[in-house]
Amino acid sequence: MPKKFIFHIALIGILALQLSTLSSCKNRDDDLNLTDSTTYNINPVIGQESIDEIIGSFSSPVEMAASMKSLDVEFSKKYLIDPGLTEDYDSNNKKAFALGVLSADLGYLNIYERTNLIVQYLSAIKRLSDDLRVSQFFEFQTLKRLATSNDNIDSLQFLSVQSFRDMDEYLRQSGQSSLSLLAITGVWLESLYLLTQVANETNQAQLKDKIGEQKISFDLLYGVIQLYRDDPYYVDLLNDLKELKNIFDQVEITYQVGEPETIIQNGTVTIIQNEQSIVEMSDEQLEQIILTTEKIRNKLINL
Amino acid sequence: MKKTIITIIAAFVIFSFLPNKAEAQCRQQMVYTCATKGQSIYLRDFNTKLKNTSTNDAGTRWTVVLNKDAHYRFNLCTPDGFENKVILTLYDSQHPEKTSPYGSTFNATTGDHYEQFDFICKKSGMYYVSIRFKDGVTDKKTCAVGIMSFVGSN
Repeated sequence: MPKKFIFHIALIGILALQLSTLSSCKNRDDDLNLTDSTTYNINPVIGQESIDEIIGSFSSPVEMAASMKSLDVEFSKKYLIDPGLTEDYDSNNKKAFALGVLSADLGYLNIYERTNLIVQYLSAIKRLSDDLRVSQFFEFQTLKRLATSNDNIDSLQFLSVQSFRDMDEYLRQSGQSSLSLLAITGVWLESLYLLTQVANETNQAQLKDKIGEQKISFDLLYGVIQLYRDDPYYVDLLNDLKELKNIFDQVEITYQVGEPETIIQNGTVTIIQNEQSIVEMSDEQLEQIILTTEKIRNKLINL
Repeated sequence: MKKTIITIIAAFVIFSFLPNKAEAQCRQQMVYTCATKGQSIYLRDFNTKLKNTSTNDAGTRWTVVLNKDAHYRFNLCTPDGFENKVILTLYDSQHPEKTSPYGSTFNATTGDHYEQFDFICKKSGMYYVSIRFKDGVTDKKTCAVGIMSFVGSN
């Protein structure tokens, strides 16, 4: 009996070793043919892995808010979606899109440390993620505790962003890239909405520039969304976004050549990229982007 | 015989979950510490298990969309003993990884290693981040975590 027991344990050990070795062989560094910062046209015959890589490359739900705060833009609750609106969403596509929108708003609240408002957004995210069966990535009890105790905002920010990214990665790895894309589109559109609303009220030149620069990420996103045009939800989404695409197409981005400069000071390395993108966008185009973004965003969230 | 078959099936069921748990361990232990080291705002992490093979560059590459006028920070964290054996690199096709990347935690000219570097982006677009074993390192495997965070607007 002891011999059999040892044999079984040894067998389990060997299998475990082999499986863990297989897992460590996972290497995503395949031969991808993606465009990068030098160009941004989408390849129409791009493979699923490349599509997933593009979807996963988008910035986090807090970057735009962090960027606005660093420019001393004041907080305003009026820009945010009412989390109660998402209760009646009936399709997974709508829920995934709303999850992205709410995550961007949660990021905005986190960055501005409005912890008193966070819990209701967390509750809405929990409901949607339960419906989409991805709630395992959100530690809601911990997030709520951090939000209500208000004493560890760094942990709250970290956990919120990481939960969203883990969920998003899971969707792509489990063959649900179309839902991941909708969540990312929700984050992107809500971030643009926040940015355009603030720019409309403050008239800061730097914000205007940031809006024009969104042409680059929008073209990438639009290109990937087009690949899903067999899905009726995406057809409608493309029709809505087409109006924004037409305006962004008129925005000119030119490039000024320059070599990066490295500064090492007190052991800290800073690289300044001297090659620049320059946005040429008229006030009329800016106004159109502001109005159209608001229109599309409100339509998609059923306002 | 029957018991052996049951054991094999049980082992497959149990250990099919092992890889994820192993990755999660690396994430839990290192990402949080790595992400909360400085004053910058965590944006995303790059988790990888590195395995040295003779046939390819051991490592992983990710694409990232960076925005103009943003000041980013890239941190690299490795288990003890691997500090000078793993490299995080930021690059694109005009500034290739092997010849002239934008930034790296290893300066090939001086031989210096850095835990982190800052990148002031002046051009929105897609870039690449890689984490690899340094050339010549003979260790078989390890895990490593890169962190991209936001420092401010320029």
